[in-house]
Amino acid sequence: MNGAAPLLGVSGLSIRYGAIEAVRGVSLEVGANEVVAIVGPNGAGKTSLLSAIAGVVLPAAGRIEFDGQPLAGLALEDVVAAGIALVPEGRHIFATLTVEENLLVGATIRDDAAAVRADIDRFFATFPILGQRRSQPAGQLSGGEQQQLAIARALLSRPRLLMLDEPSLGLAPAVIDQVYVLIREIREGGVAILLVEQNAERAFSVADRVHVMSGGVFALSGTPAELHRDPRFDAAYFGIGMA
Amino acid sequence: MTRDLLRRLWPLLVLAAIVLAVALVFSFLPAVPQRRATQALINLVAVVGLYVFVGNSGVLSFGNVAFMALGAYVSALLTMKAAAKSVFLPDLPAFLASAEWPNFPGAIAGGIAAALFALVVGWPLMRLSGIAASIATFAVLVITYVVLGNWTAVTGGQNSLMGLPIYAGLWTAAAWAVAAIVIAFLYQETRSALLLRASREDEAAAAASGVPMVRHRLIAFVISGFLSGIAGVLLAHFLGTVRVETFYLDLTFLIVAMLVIGGMGSLTGAVAGALVIAALTEALRLAEIGVDVGGTTIAAPAGLGDAILALVMLLIILFRPKGIAGGREISWPFGSRG
Amino acid sequence: MDRIIQTLVDAVSVGGLYALTALGIGLIFGVMRLINFAHGELVMATGYTLLALFGMPLPVMLMGGLATAVLLALATERVAFRPLRGADPATLLISSFAVSFFLQKTLILFVDSRPKGIDFLPLLGRQIEIAGVRLQALQLVVIAVSAILLVGLTWFLRTTRFGLQMRAAAEDFRMARMLGVRANRVIATAFALSGLLAAAVSCLVVAQTGIVQPRMGLQLVIIAFVGTVIGGLGSLAGAATGGFLVGVATILLQALLPPDLRVFREAFVFLAVVLVLLFRPQGLFPARGLKERI
Repeated sequence: MNGAAPLLGVSGLSIRYGAIEAVRGVSLEVGANEVVAIVGPNGAGKTSLLSAIAGVVLPAAGRIEFDGQPLAGLALEDVVAAGIALVPEGRHIFATLTVEENLLVGATIRDDAAAVRADIDRFFATFPILGQRRSQPAGQLSGGEQQQLAIARALLSRPRLLMLDEPSLGLAPAVIDQVYVLIREIREGGVAILLVEQNAERAFSVADRVHVMSGGVFALSGTPAELHRDPRFDAAYFGIGMA
Repeated sequence: MTRDLLRRLWPLLVLAAIVLAVALVFSFLPAVPQRRATQALINLVAVVGLYVFVGNSGVLSFGNVAFMALGAYVSALLTMKAAAKSVFLPDLPAFLASAEWPNFPGAIAGGIAAALFALVVGWPLMRLSGIAASIATFAVLVITYVVLGNWTAVTGGQNSLMGLPIYAGLWTAAAWAVAAIVIAFLYQETRSALLLRASREDEAAAAASGVPMVRHRLIAFVISGFLSGIAGVLLAHFLGTVRVETFYLDLTFLIVAMLVIGGMGSLTGAVAGALVIAALTEALRLAEIGVDVGGTTIAAPAGLGDAILALVMLLIILFRPKGIAGGREISWPFGSRG
Repeated sequence: MDRIIQTLVDAVSVGGLYALTALGIGLIFGVMRLINFAHGELVMATGYTLLALFGMPLPVMLMGGLATAVLLALATERVAFRPLRGADPATLLISSFAVSFFLQKTLILFVDSRPKGIDFLPLLGRQIEIAGVRLQALQLVVIAVSAILLVGLTWFLRTTRFGLQMRAAAEDFRMARMLGVRANRVIATAFALSGLLAAAVSCLVVAQTGIVQPRMGLQLVIIAFVGTVIGGLGSLAGAATGGFLVGVATILLQALLPPDLRVFREAFVFLAVVLVLLFRPQGLFPARGLKERI
């Protein structure tokens, strides 16, 4: 980690649903040019963590700071204006809106129409197939295309931090390849990424640092290379023998 | 053993005792308050009937007043004197025109007719989910209203049927109210009802575990139909007349409001809602009549009662959505385990 | 032949009224999953405003009616429905019911519950001859106004930025918010638009029937609601189409059914709703690309 202040700083975050503590005192940082991945099995608390940062759920305890400003209590609509975009699990594209309209909704907070148009044109140039379908209802796209659309839509708000929740879920390996090409390009473009993945290998292929989350806490952290060599990784991933 | 039984039956015993106590108190009062209490107890039967379905299945039904209408008309047709029927319903089929049943069989017939109607209607509808089912029950209400209101030969259409035997007095209503509470309580302790309530929380899980929800919902619906039918019977034989207009939106709102305010989740809520609203409407009615102060009458404007009822319902939904009873039954006050 | 054309014009004009009402209901359902029974009270409130302002110049009456409907709609949203955002559908349904009854009963406190006659836009009662067929001017006005409002609303939703945001919010409210769409603004706009539609319908109905009474909105909303369900609760086009078809159906049933069955035509309409719910719950005209709604 470099010495500069991190873009996103989370400390001591706890999230409760009734009596269940989904996230227990988690701390993490994401630097301005980093890709940080959180891997772990289902139910580990990964989605809850992202939801709290995005303002979808209110944490029971802890602080979230983005670019030096506290995020706590920010309304859902204001988080994207602060510079954070979330692509939630399941993609959530607007099926009845056209592909192009989906992208336009992504640009809701922007008022530079010409630049928005340029961004959209650039996206269609990179993904010509989606460009061909620009006037079709997005519900008719394949799973992989929808994932690409969801990510592009999030990027249209020109965020500084992009959060991705399970981008590979339900997709065929060849399709996941394409999605991860996109993720790498985003990283080249200077956007920080916080990635949640069940598929550890995929996460390793693109992340600078990885946290292994299990049972609501970070069981293990390190670079992909370190974790690859670490004999504790499997146990940490599956929560065996951990607190 | 007896203590355990007593504890299990506690809510039933308390609610029945309350009903009987109300009847006892009002039996010493003059005719007008007695009539008010009778009407309140009849409404209680209707609310309990609605609760049996709504409380256990979690599906809001707007159609129970249709069952009340059916019960009322069937009982009326069977118990009215032939002479009266020939005046109001000259085109009635012969076997109905000459029927002069005693009151109790007529009432049971009304309840059963309503239950059968619920069975027929519920068969296709119970497989609908939440909102769709509620909309469908609303459709049942309107269809019943339109059909009964225009099937002039059998029901007299928009006209009132008059001359029904008036036997639904205070103690009759109280007896049926207790019976309704007993039926509702015994039903909700059955395995079918427990499964139904469990599925309320998570439809997907229930479906996955192979529980045939449609059948259990239908059972609740039919029992609810029976009780609502009885309520309709009682109303008809309390007023002495039957009019299709009685069994439509205003009554539906009243019954639903009572259940929502009392609390949809428990039998105690249903009873509480009925009694509390009865007391409230009575107080507002007195306010509308007015109080004499130094020669002038200070009175609330007519219709204020209805507006306030709607307001109370809204406030409950906003601030205490589980209702007065909070979804719980009356608890055993004597501590656990002797 | 003349009779057929007159019946058709009648059907289309009634269909137009129900389409507008259904659209008003559909707009709110779209953004809040709330079936706004109180929509009928918006119609009623406008009617009574026209009554109160009777004698003033027409634009004043119309503006007054519009203001009443829009303000009342916004008020019900702010006071009764905003606290309930995100509540389960059953709670929303009951509260909508309660708000509707509250408004109705409260209004009756201030006015008579008896129907009041009002001679509104009597010029429209004139007969016009078109291609040899005698038609009522009012019916043509109803058709024209309905068409203008429908086209206008469609243009707003499909081409403007805010319209796009509303459509997105109607489909996936939370996701739209995550992209920056302002929840309060979208919902308030939906309510305001529904107020506009209710006001228009009310003026037309008052001109047509010449009567103002507390229940005037009820019949309209019940039938229009049926149309929304038949057309498809999830799509605005479906709601409007469904409302239109049901309106047309009530007139055609009136004309085509044998006299004995004519009185039961509402029962037929509601039977159609049940059938749709059973066999095609997403409605006859669901939005493209969408799966089941209810």
